[in-house]
Amino acid sequence: MFIHNFKYALKTLFRDKMLIFWTFAFPIILGTFFNMAFSNIENSEKLEIINIAIVDNDEFQNNELYKQAFKTLSDEENEDRLFNTKYVTEEEAKQLLEKDEITGYMILEEDNPKIVVTTSGINETILKYVVEEITTNGQIVENLIDKEINKELSSGIYNLYNLDYKKIYENVLEKTQNQEVKITDMSNKNLSYTMIEFYTLIAMACLYGGILGMVAINKNLANMSSNGKRVSVAPTPKGKVIFSSILASYIIQLVGLTLLFIYTIFVLKVDYGTNLPLIILLGIVGSLAGLSMGLAIGTILKANENVKTGIVIAVTMLGCFLSGMMGITMKYIIDTNAPIINKINPASMITDGFYSLYYYDTLDRYYFNIISLLIFSIIMIVISYTSLRRQKFENL
Amino acid sequence: MSPDAYDIKAKLGVVFQDVAVFEELTVYENIDYFCGLYIKDKNTRKQYIEEAIELVGLEEFKKFYPKQLSGGLLRRLNIVCGIAHKPKLIFLDEPTVAVDPQSRNNILDGIQKLRDNGATVVYTTHYMEEVEIICDRVIILDKGKVLATGTTDELKELAKIEEKVTVEVNDLNEKYIEEIKRLENVDDVTYNGNILLVTYKKGKNNLVELIDYLKKESIKYNKIYSERPTLNDVFLELTGKELRD
Repeated sequence: MFIHNFKYALKTLFRDKMLIFWTFAFPIILGTFFNMAFSNIENSEKLEIINIAIVDNDEFQNNELYKQAFKTLSDEENEDRLFNTKYVTEEEAKQLLEKDEITGYMILEEDNPKIVVTTSGINETILKYVVEEITTNGQIVENLIDKEINKELSSGIYNLYNLDYKKIYENVLEKTQNQEVKITDMSNKNLSYTMIEFYTLIAMACLYGGILGMVAINKNLANMSSNGKRVSVAPTPKGKVIFSSILASYIIQLVGLTLLFIYTIFVLKVDYGTNLPLIILLGIVGSLAGLSMGLAIGTILKANENVKTGIVIAVTMLGCFLSGMMGITMKYIIDTNAPIINKINPASMITDGFYSLYYYDTLDRYYFNIISLLIFSIIMIVISYTSLRRQKFENL
Repeated sequence: MSPDAYDIKAKLGVVFQDVAVFEELTVYENIDYFCGLYIKDKNTRKQYIEEAIELVGLEEFKKFYPKQLSGGLLRRLNIVCGIAHKPKLIFLDEPTVAVDPQSRNNILDGIQKLRDNGATVVYTTHYMEEVEIICDRVIILDKGKVLATGTTDELKELAKIEEKVTVEVNDLNEKYIEEIKRLENVDDVTYNGNILLVTYKKGKNNLVELIDYLKKESIKYNKIYSERPTLNDVFLELTGKELRD
């Protein structure tokens, strides 16, 4: 019975042209447009150097990490030069910012970098991310050195006064070069905000699985469709029918996602990074979140299928908009002013998961997003289950 | 009956008024899907499906999708999806609404065959002529209340009239109408447009007397015919209103 229903659920969903358009074709079409539009923008903006200022105080002078990093990123001989940096006093930096001669400035206070900008935009976001990356990478190197020193001390051969600093330096260098830890390359090339668009595109494709989930459950509920009435009078356990339909929807959703990945990687030449299994895992979990959201909308709302489809699409697009689909600035604004929104926004969880895989050295943030998506899915499934349990129909 | 009374549900077949089929599946696949919810064995199911398709005359349309079918064929598909598993008790809710005469006859023939094969059919309809053709027992319901039960003949006896005579006649004045009212057994006389309707409390051969009267008075008429009361008359008698469409 399970296989019988599963087989026909697959057939009906695969042959539903509207569904196939939204889950298969639409993300591919949108991805193509993104590629055409944003790659041009990125190419045209690639050579644009961002004017910034750094407050040249004692703390900055004593901080080799930031000093060297900004020196490299502002080096005129560097092909991937990112900044045109002025080293000034705080007062001068403020004046430059007021005159709109710089995008923003950085000041080190107690070794903590503070970014001052007046508006939100691509350049401001890049400055913010660069500083974040320098800080994170610096901490990674510091941790590695700490570990190496402790290792040397615990060996009993050395004490604090006769440490072999050259060996420690070589070990740390080897680890960073062997990519035991990942130090992010912050060149202009790698700070591609087009990637954010593709991350949100994948997030959108995952969440469009909600339409599949909603349609699958609608076909089996007596109060939602005529077919549901027929199914409900059959001697088949409701749970079995619904579960097999949901499983079929999930498989179709994953097929759609796979096609999108194949298309973007091999046709649009999008580089999602090197960690393919984790990328796939995020897609699978993200699709589950989308599917469960569709189930919840399908069971809670008392409206026809077209209205529900519209709602799933609207919720998905809103989520993607807030997570940066229509402009990376929005993600930055939400992260800065109302971070809770993106903490409960599944599109943002997926986008952030990809982002953290690509840019961060550790997987903590990635797993945080995976767990958040799983919690979101569980909540949606519990809501759907409770709603289904409450539905009572007139019996013969 | 509880929702998980699967042993009872397995013996039921329900055909809803709304067409309930999957647009994405062919005729055969639709029947196979719904029949498969009842019959697990593939070979048995295949045999049942072929028999059901033959019963409603859909042999030529097995590979068609629902949107390729006419209204009548779609209704036949709707029926066959509910009865292919050979249920013992079948509920049909107005299965012939908006159906062409050919499909209607086909559907009614099919239902009679189901009955002849031993199934009990509960048939809901507003079409009294269908009731008279296929129903052994009739229940007249109004707003959820049972008003009368019985065979069609038993129900017709509930009507206070025994015969209706309809005459197509022009320019009948009030004097003649009053005289007709005074004829033997006449219950009521109405004259609307050019149709004279005379109902009789008793007897089945009042037509001759009426023709004699019209001849005697030299009243020319185009058409005249006699009927027994219909179930619609019974419904009118019991509820005071005409049947809805």
